[in-house]
Amino acid sequence: MKGRGMWMGLLVFFLVCLLAIPCFGQRGVTKDTIKMGLILVKTGPVAALGLPNGTGMVDYLQYLNDTAGGVAGRKIEVIWEDDSFEAPKSVAALKKLITRDNVLTVITTGGSQQTMANLENINQYKLPNIPNALMKEFYDPFQPYIFAMGATYEAQFECIVDYIFNDLKEKNPRIGVVYEKKEYGIKGMEAVKKRAKAYGVDLVSELALPTGAVDASSQVLALMNDKVDYVVTCLLLPPTITYLKTAEKYNYWPKHVFGFNWATDDMIVKACGEAAKNYIGVNFVGAWWDESPGIKLVRQIAQKYNRTEIGLTSLYVNGIGVSMLFGEAFKRAGRDLTPDSLKAALETFKEFSTGGVFPPATYTSKSHAPHEMVKFFKADVANKRLVALTDWRKPKEMK
Amino acid sequence: MLATLPLWGNPYVIYLINLSCIAVVAALGLNLLIGYTGQISLGHAAFIAIGAYTTAILSTKVGLPFWACLLASGGVTAIVGFGLGIPCLRLKGLYLAMATMAFGVVIDFVVITWGKLTGGVRGINVTKVSIFGYPLDSDNKMYYFLMVLTILTVLAIKNLVRTRIGRAFIAIRDRDIAAEVIGVNITAYKVMAFTISSFFAGIAGAMYSYTMGYIHPEHFTLLLSVQYLAMIIVGGLGTILGSIFGAVFIVLVPELIKAIARASEMLIPALKGKYDEEWNIAAFGLLIMIFLIFEANGLYGIWGRIKTSFKNWPYTY
Amino acid sequence: MKSGLLFFIQLFASGIAVGCLYALIALGFVLIIKATDILNFAHGEVIMISSLLCYFLMAKYHFSFLTASLVTVLIAALLGILTERVVLRPMLGEPIFAVVMITIGLSIFLRSMAGIIFGHDNYVFPSPFPKEPIHLAGATLSMTQIWVMICTALLVFIFFIFFKYSRMGLAMRGTANNQETALLMGISTKRIFAMVWGIAFVTAAIAGIFLANVMVVNIGLTFTAISAFPAIILGGLESIPGAIIGGLAIGVIENLAGGYLDQMIGGGVKDVTPFVVLFLMLMFKPYGLFGKEEIERV
Repeated sequence: MKGRGMWMGLLVFFLVCLLAIPCFGQRGVTKDTIKMGLILVKTGPVAALGLPNGTGMVDYLQYLNDTAGGVAGRKIEVIWEDDSFEAPKSVAALKKLITRDNVLTVITTGGSQQTMANLENINQYKLPNIPNALMKEFYDPFQPYIFAMGATYEAQFECIVDYIFNDLKEKNPRIGVVYEKKEYGIKGMEAVKKRAKAYGVDLVSELALPTGAVDASSQVLALMNDKVDYVVTCLLLPPTITYLKTAEKYNYWPKHVFGFNWATDDMIVKACGEAAKNYIGVNFVGAWWDESPGIKLVRQIAQKYNRTEIGLTSLYVNGIGVSMLFGEAFKRAGRDLTPDSLKAALETFKEFSTGGVFPPATYTSKSHAPHEMVKFFKADVANKRLVALTDWRKPKEMK
Repeated sequence: MLATLPLWGNPYVIYLINLSCIAVVAALGLNLLIGYTGQISLGHAAFIAIGAYTTAILSTKVGLPFWACLLASGGVTAIVGFGLGIPCLRLKGLYLAMATMAFGVVIDFVVITWGKLTGGVRGINVTKVSIFGYPLDSDNKMYYFLMVLTILTVLAIKNLVRTRIGRAFIAIRDRDIAAEVIGVNITAYKVMAFTISSFFAGIAGAMYSYTMGYIHPEHFTLLLSVQYLAMIIVGGLGTILGSIFGAVFIVLVPELIKAIARASEMLIPALKGKYDEEWNIAAFGLLIMIFLIFEANGLYGIWGRIKTSFKNWPYTY
Repeated sequence: MKSGLLFFIQLFASGIAVGCLYALIALGFVLIIKATDILNFAHGEVIMISSLLCYFLMAKYHFSFLTASLVTVLIAALLGILTERVVLRPMLGEPIFAVVMITIGLSIFLRSMAGIIFGHDNYVFPSPFPKEPIHLAGATLSMTQIWVMICTALLVFIFFIFFKYSRMGLAMRGTANNQETALLMGISTKRIFAMVWGIAFVTAAIAGIFLANVMVVNIGLTFTAISAFPAIILGGLESIPGAIIGGLAIGVIENLAGGYLDQMIGGGVKDVTPFVVLFLMLMFKPYGLFGKEEIERV
């Protein structure tokens, strides 16, 4: 017993020496720097979802540094911790960023799970952040330091169903859902079901497609068998590509195939070509080749920092958008920059425009709800890109 | 010294130690099954999940106090372990590994599909644990709570191993046919091993629920089971100290590597910005391989060698 | 043809096509288990690396598909021999747990190296196979699927001849059966082991190249290896024909379950079914359909 206690003590002592004692002083802000933390997945199977996003976030703030000397005379530094999409690692990273690196706040604490696991810490340490996730629980009930952005999965899919009934003017459409058994998949499927019911229609099929599926044959065949007209997919990009290509093989062309934000990226058209010809996706960011001033800036920044191999460009756009919000908040807070002044600054946003990157953002001291707006995009196969089909819109108010 | 750590230590380090405690408890349980009884299991994450969800559900939906939740977690998981042990009696080696892995997949499916009970892919927000009305709402307070549980577990297992039960386990691992010949009831003890190991996994799961405050099916994957396997093998199979070493190693080493990398970035400016998390993980995998090639008995074996060399130090023959 | 029958035939045919991929993966596992009793946890990583390598050779260096595939297969073989030499040779005689753990460490290492070398993006493989599917007896199959089936059949045939008639093959079977006796008979077990690992990695590479054609290429491909586990158990851990038949069977069962059961049981049973089958097999016929029964009681 004694030996073990001694060993444990030694190990702990060694650790504590190596990992320095917490710093004190005004958090994250000095005369000429602002230190920001960022927790986003860089490694592991979902790294492709975090890397472009985070790079966008970092690039925009660097752009501010390079073109305007930062904000209010302070340059912005970002410390990016990886969490491999694991909640315990995200919590550990948060603690490290606060207690050892003394950051002002974190841009985001990662995905939905990670943010949920960090709720306590966010409130305890007062960390205004914009989650890289779309859960209702982030703003309902009100969370003082979480500023939700984007459109929740529920809202996205409600818009899709609205589109089928209102824009395509269908009376009794045969709708089928293909989903992954993950948070976005199940929520998506349930949202479609509920919304369709509100229009008086039942779903014809609900099919699960496992995330690592090698083949989508049984799902496509089942949909064909059920004569589904509109397929709504609640899948990430790779399974969506697998689905579209399988459907092409079986020559299955429903009237439209819908997808949500994680699958609505130029990559879909690049990868699937003809197979994506009747794909319509929703997203809460502008498309990469839009001509709006904000998106043009995004392309400019990507070129400036030599981002030739971004992968999922829609995520890069997303990242820049988030940093645009922070950049503006820094400006509004001015020289007196603290976590609370940052929070207050964000709450002054009223229809703040990012020039087409995001829909206009509004936050108040009572509500940090996201705008819940999306744009519809369709595939332009010839040019290998997505083009906008509609303007920003919200789900319809259902009586 | 250990007891005073929360007073002056970095919260980041405290949190890591808390995570290690949970890992130690679960690893000790697994070691009982694999190290002492020789029954390989790739389903440990599933048992931890059962424990975590039991506590989460009972504390949020029924509002039971912590000791009831802990016991319930241990109990429910033990019962499931018992249930798994029986059909697995005839299986050995790789077959047993596959069966336990399949079990893990099934539990994962159940947790996701039985959304009404488990919250499915939304996860569960666990209420803060409080000891007789005293809320444990900070890492520091959780630290003491977890330390106590861990020490109790270590004591329990240490004693268990010394009893007849423990010796029966070891007999089954080493020469099970011979053990049966001398009267050891292999059936009973194998099932007991599963049950007890699951009990501790359940306790660890409960600790995890209370520490994280939020659980989700994706916290308990096959990868986690493999991690626990790594802990006890790298630490040293069949030894209690080995499990402790291994658990702490697997939890802390990645963070240590990161700290060392960051520190060297500061000392050698040429390296700044080159740090990539992937190198950390690559180094980690490499370390595991090197440790085992060097000493198949894992960290415990290395520790043993260090101790002997200290003892023999002045005499170098 | 009746639509019900057509539906079934389609499911069955695509099940066989998928099953061939599972069979290829299972083959790699079984080869190593048969010869050295080791469950190689790094097999998935080899598959993934082969896919990525082949993609990069074609996309970045503009190799033709055939050249890229050959180079990939060669590198895989070398990797297998290297692994055996550097990582496993020192562990001969050590407890099996430690060796399995080394393969786990290797898998972690390979996975992160792949991330560093190839990046984390999703890549779309420039498939050399024509997109136009073939219609055969009511079933629609893509050219890729046809080629997978042809290659699998070819490989099985080659292995069959190799193990039954060639000296190397016989030597391998002897070593797998009883190492000591093989040594006494003058067989160099070291070379045999190296060859076995090399060949196993080659099958992984072939599986990886085909998978690249069927799926999006990224690091996540490592998890395809897990799909082979039910196949190995179904066929029997030490039986090569068992691995093939197991793979095909699991592919078909999975597809049929997906086609028929998914509609009835909400929650999608397609991915759980193989594991339920695995569990049942272990309960009632643990040595698989073709495995050798080792007589041991509880």
